[in-house]
Order: sequence, then structure tokens, then C-alpha cells
Amino acid sequence: MRVPYGWLGELVDGLPPVAETADLLAGLGLGVEGIETVPGAPAGVRVVAVLAVTPVSGALQRVEIDDAGQRRTVACAAPNVRVGMRAAYAPPGASLPGFDGVLDVREVGGVRSEGMLCSPRELGVFEHAAGLLALGEDAPVGADLGALWPSDAVIELEITPNRADAFSLLGVARDLAAKLGVPLRHPAAGLEGAVGDPSADDGLEVRVADPAGCPRFSLRRVDGVRVGPSPVWLQRRLALLGLRPRNVVVDVTNLVTFELGQPSHAYDRDALTGGVLEVRRAAPGERLVTLNDDELALDPEDLVIATPDPERGSRAIGLAGVIGGREDSVRDATTSVAVEVASFEPIGVRRTGKRHKLVTDARIRFERGVDPALPLTANARVTALLAAWAGGRPHPGVTWVGEAPTAPPAIAFRPSQVGFLMAVELAPAEQRRHLERLGCDVATDADDRWRVTPPSWRADLALEVDLIEEVARLHGYEHIGTSVPQIAFVPPPTDPTHWRLRERLVGAGMLEAIGYVFTGDEDLARARVPAAHVRLSEPQGVERAVLRTSLLPGLLAVARLNRDAPRLALFEVGHVFVEREEERLGLLWRGHGAASGWRPAREHDVYAAKGALEALAEGLGAELEMRPAPFADLHPGVSAEVLWDGAAVGRFGRLHPEVAADWGCGDVVVAELRLPLDTRPPRLRELPRQPFAERDLAVVLPLDVAYADLHARCAQAAGERLVELFAFDVYQGPQVDEGLKSVALRFRFRHASRALTDVEVDADMAQIMAALRAAGYAWRT
Amino acid sequence: MNDDTLHAIATAPDLRELQALRVRLLGKKGELTEGLKALGALPPDERRVRGAALHQRKRAVEAALEARKAALERAELDARLAAERVDLTLPGERVPAGAHHLLTQVTHRLLDVFTSLGYEVVVGPELEDDRHNFEALNFPPDHPARDTQDTFWTTDGRLLRTHTSPMQVRYMESHAPPFRVVVPGRVFRNEAVDATHEAQFHQLEALVVGERITMADLKGAITEMATALLGSGTRTRLLPTYFPFVEPGAEFAIWWRHPKTGREEWLELGGCGMVHPRVFEAVGYEGVTGFAFGFGIERLAMVSYQVSDIRDLFRGDLRLLEQFRGVA
Repeated sequence: MRVPYGWLGELVDGLPPVAETADLLAGLGLGVEGIETVPGAPAGVRVVAVLAVTPVSGALQRVEIDDAGQRRTVACAAPNVRVGMRAAYAPPGASLPGFDGVLDVREVGGVRSEGMLCSPRELGVFEHAAGLLALGEDAPVGADLGALWPSDAVIELEITPNRADAFSLLGVARDLAAKLGVPLRHPAAGLEGAVGDPSADDGLEVRVADPAGCPRFSLRRVDGVRVGPSPVWLQRRLALLGLRPRNVVVDVTNLVTFELGQPSHAYDRDALTGGVLEVRRAAPGERLVTLNDDELALDPEDLVIATPDPERGSRAIGLAGVIGGREDSVRDATTSVAVEVASFEPIGVRRTGKRHKLVTDARIRFERGVDPALPLTANARVTALLAAWAGGRPHPGVTWVGEAPTAPPAIAFRPSQVGFLMAVELAPAEQRRHLERLGCDVATDADDRWRVTPPSWRADLALEVDLIEEVARLHGYEHIGTSVPQIAFVPPPTDPTHWRLRERLVGAGMLEAIGYVFTGDEDLARARVPAAHVRLSEPQGVERAVLRTSLLPGLLAVARLNRDAPRLALFEVGHVFVEREEERLGLLWRGHGAASGWRPAREHDVYAAKGALEALAEGLGAELEMRPAPFADLHPGVSAEVLWDGAAVGRFGRLHPEVAADWGCGDVVVAELRLPLDTRPPRLRELPRQPFAERDLAVVLPLDVAYADLHARCAQAAGERLVELFAFDVYQGPQVDEGLKSVALRFRFRHASRALTDVEVDADMAQIMAALRAAGYAWRT
Repeated sequence: MNDDTLHAIATAPDLRELQALRVRLLGKKGELTEGLKALGALPPDERRVRGAALHQRKRAVEAALEARKAALERAELDARLAAERVDLTLPGERVPAGAHHLLTQVTHRLLDVFTSLGYEVVVGPELEDDRHNFEALNFPPDHPARDTQDTFWTTDGRLLRTHTSPMQVRYMESHAPPFRVVVPGRVFRNEAVDATHEAQFHQLEALVVGERITMADLKGAITEMATALLGSGTRTRLLPTYFPFVEPGAEFAIWWRHPKTGREEWLELGGCGMVHPRVFEAVGYEGVTGFAFGFGIERLAMVSYQVSDIRDLFRGDLRLLEQFRGVA
């Protein structure tokens, strides 16, 4: 909310300079977003009266003006120029913030123009260029506009949703006055006697069909209103708030919304059938055209303001607490208005506002809760302003439906808790003063047992901690001490962020990427990973409409983005959303392995990638196996299920060439594993004292027999003296028959306590060879 | 025997020639060996004189052989060393260094601080329900405070967590106080994406609950974190504000020197406060107090490392990822 500093100063005595005031507000919890210096009207611009308007061609008009007794001519295309109006005149030689160059005397479409009449945008006072700045009779002809419309500073506040009361100058001023210990000058002071007599007949009637949605409703009649431009001070005040001045009636209601925090609405009284207003839920199929010309299809839950209608029985003329209707609003010809100031139930206003996507100044205040004691006072304030600035004659009566609000319940409060929870030393008397300055009523039952009744405008105060915060807030958070929590707690040694895993991957030369959980159906399909399980109801576009079911599409996108990079080794740790949410590790390799640049590098093929995974498992104390298995996104001949300590944790392989071509990510090797991957602590064994005996055997077997099967067959046949077995050569070519391959195996045997004899080792080898022969394999000698 | 022999030794071109000379002179049938063998046949007087001369001669030859051998060996080594010379200024053969993502580095650095202070690291789901993300955290349905958390709802009525605070509820539902926990994690907001706003980002949240935890403990914890990050003498500031799940609530800032501008200023980091009684009520805790604080990782990472566009962090451009190498 924008808080004009000059205006604030009228409500709080002895306000410190603007920067200091902003610091005070921040310290009170009224978050300061910034301080803006808003320039006033430019120097040299004068108030003039329009004497004559002659159309020239198209929109162009010759306008004669009274410039402090001098008659001048200007060219003007503004649609709102009228004889008798007062306008802002920039004479030749003046320069304007919203107009390039210096003004001159020149010919415009055959009209000699001595300077120009200005729009608000040209003057730089507010954003409106569709017409002249229209001034009222309060602006004396010949006056320097810069003096009437000086610059000011605006403090921009971010009001938190709990502080409904602070959505007004009054609320902000209250906090400041309490902090500074100075009296508050209430804008509605002295109007207690002007709220109107509910028993007087003013020819108006209010029928509230839904008292729960509308607990209080006041309607005040004001006759003799002249609808025209607002006085300069009022226009300036609205401009500083960021609002566009319209006419004096609308401007006054807007002003009071920001001044007191109480929204109101003025109806053209003649548009109210029989002077009757109804508050009811919308009828099925009912429609309403708002002030903003939006036509809304109303929901039966929407609370509307309506008036009797000869054809339909009743027609909605406003959306309660949110926005007024177009048809019944005040227009230039209006002379009699009915001013509505009511209380609306917050949740209903919020639902209606959300349903129709309307965020208005009224909604913002009603949905947070407006002071229930305010309607009659605010109505008196609106009425008084209309009397002072629009020539209005308020009716002595007021139409009032509803009850006076009951006082909020008292809160049990222990001053000692301020000392404990906030760790500040603050005497109870001081605490009491703080609470009372904020408008609370404090009753003392015992030394440390108070009953505190918050003021009607602080519905957010309900618990003892709320009051503790109030006391601490006014005292200042800077007084809170510093200590270290003393609790007996020993955290368990866990690694939920998989830091050790990441460390190993980074150590192996991999770069970590972090992608989006959002993806699109099409990307999931193109990557041949499972279709989405979770869809967003209001996504940021179709490409971000669902949650990822795999980390791989994200890594493929990174590979495509970096398609020119000769080497890629990437990983990502992140959540995917399948039948349930799970955490995974995604990996991608492309291009060469170790390289120097000046001599040939080794291609980083699928075995290098597998080796990286094996090393990872080895480092974490686990065993890694791969079992050939098909996966839709992988090359059918280079595709395996990954077993981590015997448990299936994911897949590994070369990306299917069609997927690779579709993504433009190059020939990549990928893996995706479920986390956590089990780790084991180091297990130390006694060091072997005996040397091993070694035998080699080149086994010739069919191409399609997996090495893992050969390995297992040998290991099974060998007995416990075999301690190591590995392939040291794999050959296929002219030396073996077609369809066969030769796998050279090296066997190492050892006995725990003595050297093995050749006879023993030969016996073990004989068993192995028998098993191989039984499987139909041969060997090369 | 004459100086020609010694000259031949001294000029032997290589070790093979030298060995041949050694055999010719000192071998089983070598000249000197034969001469010494022949001594036995000489009369004693002559044998003594002749023997002394021969032994002297043998020592001279041996010394000459050793000297030449050493010289030849040194020359051979020198030749080998010269031949083996390489240009060590050429690049080495290597796998380029890997790197943690910048956000991981910043998070880990913070977690290091918290674990050293006795906090347990816990994590939770990104897909949440209304109860854990809102209701149990004292965001009633239809409360305007929900507007501050632009929420991604799913078509099945769940939501992507808007903060890490649901883990407060989850942890308290399954653990008894006292405890200190810290929760890193990814969170989501459905707001317009630009250089400083992303639909996904990361937070870190701390929660401490015990019998007599106070706001001073909260300030102390924030100060300790700031000190561990920025060094001693770091100041922290609390300003009142509102979050539904804490009361009293505050936003906190730390005084630091901006790495780009060099100006000393307050860095607004995040929100904090004393756990709201309604949150304790929701998880069935009684007779305890606690504090919580949380903040965004991206903002800290971006100002610390001068990342100008938050979207760059999630694009995976190698040219950026490679810059994350180094020690944080």
C-alpha cells in the first residue's frame, strides 16, 4: 500500500523525517518496500478557465482560455474540454515531464496555439492521457499549479494479511502514534454526532436477506450533489495513492477506503427502485455488468446488492464487498446519491473475488476483515466530505440494518511470558502502556494474570502469543537477546541429501545439473519414459503441465543444449513422480573419456560408463551387476537392468538411436537409479599370507552367452579355493568359428594357511573344465 | 705391460669394449693373471720384487677399469636422461574435473554449519497435501495468507509444496521433542517467471523444539549461522512480520558486504519466529516452545556468486556448470 508521507503527517503529530519514519514502520512490522519521491505539477503551469471551444476538424478544437485575465488561444484535441472548466495550462517556454521538447507558439491544423492545455500524463501527476486534467472551482484562475500540487514522498508498504487494520492511513498512523507515544488525529474525529438518525425517514429502505453475509449495512442519502472534478488536494491525494481521480463522489469514497480502511459505494439514488436496496445471494443464471464493463455470470453463492425490478422482481447492481455495477453508478447528471457503508463476511467476499478473478481495494480489505465498529463513522466521513466538496446536503436520517458489534473476547495474558519468550526485560507497567496505546483494554486479576481486550479493529489478536508479539513489536525487536538453545539432542548420522554419492560422482569428473520437475506430455512420450501420473491444474503452459516421471528427459535436454560439447558427463539427483514420489539418480555420458587434446583420446563408450558405475558401487561398499533387459528408451542390444547388492534399482544402457535422433542429443549412454543406494561400512579381513596360484583358460563359446553366465558357471564349479576370476581378453574373429567367441579367463586360487600344490590347482581346474564341457563350451590351448 | 694398456682402458669406447679389456687383462687367462700365476716358478727374491711390481700394476689396471666404467656409465645415464626428456608444459591427459551444482554447494555449506551445531538433516516429499502445507501450519481454508503462496495444485487435489515447512509437521508427527532439525528442499510457486523469480527454487528451514526455547535462542541460531558463513562480528536483525505458523514472527537479515558493490548492507534472508501454538496443537505437542526459520537458497547463491538470472541455474548450460568447479 502506498502511504503519502505528507498525509500521514496530518494524522500523527511530530512525525520524524521520511526515512526515519520508514525505519519506524519497518520496526513495527509494516514492511517497507521503498520510498518514492513523487514530483508535483511542473513549474510554470497555471490554472486557466475555458471560455470558448470551437471545433476545427476531426478532434481538433480551438479553445479560448482566461489566463489570469489574458485571453489566449490554444489547439486542443481532448474530448473532455468544456466551456467553464478549469484546466492546467502550460505557456510557451514551459517544459513538461510527459511532453518532449519546450513548448512554443505554433500553428496546429490552422489554429494558432500559445502553449497547451495538459493531460495528467503530460503533467506527470498521474497516468491518464485520454483527456485534460479537469480542475474544480477550488483552483483559482491564474494560480501556479505547482504550488497547489506540490511533490511528496510516498512510503510503499507491504501489509501482511493479518493486519487488516493497517490497510489504511488510519491504521498505519495508529501504530506510529503508539510507537512514538503521541496522540493520533483521527480523520473522523468530531463526526460522532453526524452519523445520522436511524429513526428518521429518508425515503430509503434496506432489506438484508442474508445477515450472516452482511452483518451491518448503512445507507445515507445526500441530495444536491454536483458531480464534477474533485478539488486539487483530493485529486493529488488519490494520485499519490496510485489511483486515477474520476469525479468528486467516486473520489471521496475511494479516499475514505484508504483513509479509514472502510470501503463504501455511492449509488445514484434515482436508480434505486423505490429507494430500496436488497442484500441477497445471486439468483441462478443472474448476470452483472461491473464498473469495469466486465459481464459476470453470477454464482448462487455470490452475495449481491440488488434493487427491485419491475420485470425480474430484483436485479443485482453490485457484487457485495467486491465491485459496483455499471448501471447504477453515479454519473455527471446525478444530483442525489445514496452512500452505502457496510460490513461483509470475509470468506464470502474472498470466494466471490476469487471466483470472478477480481482483486479490488474493497475485496482486499473485506476479505481480511474491516473494523466492525466503522460503518456508521465512515459513512459520516463520506457524507461530510460530499457536503464540503460536492455541495451535498446530507439527510439527517440514516438507514441502518444490523447490530453494533460485540466486543471481542478478552485474552488471558501473563506479562512474565514476554520476558521468557522474547528474552526482553520489560516492566509490567511498560507492557500495559504498550497494550493500551494499541487500543487494548487491560484488566488486572493478579500480578501475572491480566485480561486484555483488543480493540474492534484488531481481530488478529486472539491468543496470548499475539499480545506478546504486540508488546515486543512496540518495544522493538532490537531488544531481543541472543542465546544458544540448551537441549539434549544428538542427531543420528544420516545422509539424506546423498552428499557422499554426489562427492564420488563429482570426483569421477561428472557435472551436476538441476532440472525442472515440470515437463510436458509430449517430452515424456518422445523420451519413451512412463506417461505422467501427476498433472497440474493451472500449469505454466503445456510444456510444464505435468510432473516428470524420469530424470532422463531433463538430461537429454541438457545434452541437446550442449550438443557441441565434445564431452559430457552429467548427473542429477531429484524427485520423480510415478506411482509414488521417489528420489532418483540420473546419469548421462557422451564423447571421450580422459584426454589431453594433443594425442588420441579414448572414446567414452558404454563400458567406460559401466566402469564408472562399478567404481561408484565399489566406493560405497556395494556390488553392481547388470542383467540384460529391454527398456523402451534404450538401444535393444545395449540395455540392462541394474542390480545394486542384488536388488533391481534401475536401468542402464545406450539411448535408443531413434530417441537420440529425435532429441538431437547425440549418441549417449544413460542410467537412472532409484535412491537411496544402499551403502556398507568398510569390512576389514585378515591379510592373506599365502601367494595365489594362477591359471589361464581361453573358453570358446557361443556369442550370445553372457559373460556373467560364464563367470557364474566357473565360480560355481571351482570350489572355495578360487579367490579371483576375471576376463583378460574377449575375442571374436577368424581364429574362432562363426557365431563363437573366445573369452580368456584368469583364475587365482589360494588356501588360507598353506601353499597350494599343482595337483590341487589342477584338480580345481579340471572341475571347472568339466562344467564348461557339460555346457558345450570348448577351450583354446 | 705399458701405458698403452692404460690408454686403451681410458679410451675404451663403451662398456662392452671395456669388459673385453678386463677379460684380456684380468680374466682367468688374462695377461696379468698369467703373470701372477707364473710368479710361483720364480726364486724367492725375484718373486718378491716381481710380485710387488705385478700387484701394483694390477691395482692400477683395476682402478683404471673402474674409473672408465664409472665414466661410461655416467655417460650412458646422461644419454638416457637426455633421450627421456619430455615437455611438461604440454597439457596432461585427464578427465575434466566434475562439479557440484552451485545450489548443492551452497546448501551443503549451510548443512555443514547446522550439523556441526547438532542439527539433524531431514528431507520430505515435494508433492504435498493441504493439511501439511497449509492447515496444520495455521493457514485456514479461505485465508488471505494463502494468497502469499501462489500454489501449484494438482488435478487430484494435492499440491507442490510452497515451502519446506510441511516437514515441520511431518517431523513433529513422528518424533518427540526435544530436537533440532534442518530441512533443505525444493519448493514451488506458481508465479510469473523472470530473472529473479522461478516456479521452482530451494529453501532451507530449521526447527528447534524443547521445553524452554525462546526468541533469543532463535536470534542466537541465526547469528551462529551467519557467523559460520561470513565470519565473526556478523550482525543479525529481526523485524516483526507475519507468517501464519509462527507467533511472534519476524523476518531476518544479516549485515554483510555485498560481493559486487562492496557496500555493507542488510541482506534480507528469510522468515522466522516462534512456532505458533496452533501448529503444536495440530501435531499434539504440549508444554513446549520452539522456533523455526527458513530462507531461499537461490537468493543467497545468486548474490554470493553474482548470478544475474535465476533461470540459468536450471538450464544446464555446460559453460555455466563448468564454472561451478572450485572450492566454495
